[in-house]
Amino acid sequence: MSPMKLCVPGERLCSTEDCIPGAGTYLRHGYIFASLAGYVLRRNEGEELPVISVVRETEAQLLPDVGAIVTCKVTSINPRFAKVHILYVGSTPLKDRFRGTIRKEDVRATEKDKVETYKSFRPGDIVLAKVISLGDVQSNYLLTTAENELGVVVAHSEAGAQMVPISWCEMQCPRTHNKEFRKVARVQPEYLQA
Amino acid sequence: VPADRKRVRGPEESQCPLLFLPPAAQTAEPREPRAGRGNGEVRPLFARCGLVSQAKGSSYLEAGNTKILCSVYGPREPERRDEAGVRSGRLLCDLRLAPFSCGKRGAWIQGSGERDLSLALSESLHPAVCLHRYPRAQIEVNVMVLENDGSVLAHAVTCASMALADAGIEMYDVVLGSALRQDGGASLVDPDLAEERGNWLAGYEENRGGVTLSLLPNLNQVSGLHADGELRADTLSAAVRTCMESCHKLYPVVQQAILRAVKRKAPPPEK
Amino acid sequence: MAAGFKTAEPLEYHRSFLKENCRPDGRELGEFRPTTLNIGSIGTADGSAMVKIGNTTVICGIKAELSAPPSDAPDKGYIVPNVDLPPLCSSRFRPGPPGEQAQAASQFIADVIDGSKIIKKEDLCIEKSKLCWVLYCDIMCLDYDGNVLDACIITLLAALKNTQIPKVTINKETDLAEVDIEHKRHLQINKHPVSSSFAVFDDTVLIVDPTAEEESLATSVITAVVDEDDQLCAFHKPGGSSLSAEKLQDCITRSVTRHREVGKLIDKVLESTKASK
Repeated sequence: MSPMKLCVPGERLCSTEDCIPGAGTYLRHGYIFASLAGYVLRRNEGEELPVISVVRETEAQLLPDVGAIVTCKVTSINPRFAKVHILYVGSTPLKDRFRGTIRKEDVRATEKDKVETYKSFRPGDIVLAKVISLGDVQSNYLLTTAENELGVVVAHSEAGAQMVPISWCEMQCPRTHNKEFRKVARVQPEYLQA
Repeated sequence: VPADRKRVRGPEESQCPLLFLPPAAQTAEPREPRAGRGNGEVRPLFARCGLVSQAKGSSYLEAGNTKILCSVYGPREPERRDEAGVRSGRLLCDLRLAPFSCGKRGAWIQGSGERDLSLALSESLHPAVCLHRYPRAQIEVNVMVLENDGSVLAHAVTCASMALADAGIEMYDVVLGSALRQDGGASLVDPDLAEERGNWLAGYEENRGGVTLSLLPNLNQVSGLHADGELRADTLSAAVRTCMESCHKLYPVVQQAILRAVKRKAPPPEK
Repeated sequence: MAAGFKTAEPLEYHRSFLKENCRPDGRELGEFRPTTLNIGSIGTADGSAMVKIGNTTVICGIKAELSAPPSDAPDKGYIVPNVDLPPLCSSRFRPGPPGEQAQAASQFIADVIDGSKIIKKEDLCIEKSKLCWVLYCDIMCLDYDGNVLDACIITLLAALKNTQIPKVTINKETDLAEVDIEHKRHLQINKHPVSSSFAVFDDTVLIVDPTAEEESLATSVITAVVDEDDQLCAFHKPGGSSLSAEKLQDCITRSVTRHREVGKLIDKVLESTKASK
């Protein structure tokens, strides 16, 4: 197999008649140029033309986008919202932390008026959430946990032990057997390994 | 001026020992012109990417005795928020000269010279970075000049664009910088510090000045042009052409350095 | 999800390694990272050195200038050390005036210089009450991955050993200083202090040469400085969890061993720098 072609930003890769521009490329005067330094990848995705893209070690430049599932850590709560740090976008870790907000009305899908933030999250909880908006000038990323698969995945009890989910709204401490309220995520198989 | 309480302070005043040279030593400075290199030749360039472990991307560049380190952080959450920042990202450039980088010791506090260089650097890089891909984020470019032996802005531009590429920041092209010193009839490409200052003892002569140009080599577009001194219009346009040519000469070295870091970071992906 | 564990629960992640008597980067608890040194690479400085401890990189440039001696000590010169942690070296530092950590590091280095008497300040005096040398020692971190203090002291010591200052005389007729750059001399290095830093995890586990992440998770950090006569010149333990006397003694014993290694390294690099000239 021939070694894979590498490129730096600005290199002309091919004409738009040969490929469809993918990630890490841009269009100019009918040609596709690289916008990243990396490996040039051509892949057939069922279209007439292959998709050409430039890939690197990780998608390090990934930013949280609307609709993305993110893993975050709760940093503080108040009666109206919970503040979080976004740690992951999908399964890619972010090198720099971005802040996000889960408003009270976005915690769950039903009985929104009865939500109490401190019965849903506690600081330090690891939460799976979805980005609903990039926010405006004043606010951070707005996130929601209003789906069965979203919510708290890892939480520690007041005694410091990692708790086990017992229902969609409660977790139990294995040491003291005390129950605490959380908006629990229905655990997905890939998270069981953690 | 309030005393600087955040640093260990020395005496109120101190002088560089070179000011106390006996008069004979000051004038006689027999320098071999350009140390054997032709007027149109750039100094050999040494470039490496990815040396700073903490940064998203970094680069180190050596041209003669000029030594520059650059690190890039981000895209990350901006410190300042405004309307423009929501739609596209912000590029922050900070250039500093280390206190020991020049003949005379520099101050810790960023001087106006460094601020001007930071601004010129930012303007030269701006057209090359795809900032619209980074809404609500800022990208930080920090440049440290460890030793200044001329053509600092030009090499800082090259170094910073290598660090941006190493950081995986999307760009329309790399940016290459090149400097030229015009001394009467002589056009000295990539001048060292002594050449940059010019030989003022020779008396006044017209057509003296410096030009620094930044080029996007693949698109063949100029992203920055800084000229000072007194240059005739035809000399300036000749200088611009010469600078563009010497930028193209740097391209293979820069390309190699970036690609070497890409390969080191990850093996080729599975097809 | 191993990477996920690392980001989400860094402390638990480190504990799981320490339980097995090793560290996430593969080191043993008492192992220093590889240390390399480069001397005299900055031509514009009167003396310079750059040290790498693992990823941590620190450079020191020394500039000698002339001034009048301090009025309270007319037979002494000045040594002015400053540590800079620029935003270049880590995303944790912001542009602007030095932060607390940089200020504390500068003061610590100044204390080590004064306490250990690396250089006798009397040696920097050219003429009493009239003229003396000021040694500006600017230490700058280029890559911050923990344990900068050790790196600062090694680079400072190596840079001072590399420094050459020109001969200066005072012209009797004009009463002005005259500098002779043809005749330069090395500084008289009186003492060779070397520091060793430690971090304490969960109040009990002692590890040497912590990385930036280990430093931020540790309950306490300790720096011990010893000289070639095995004398303790400085000991720095800014708060944190308490430590038993045995552990403290252990730190000092390890520092003595570390001093030997670093001393050898500096001598070796100085030799090869001289040989290549």
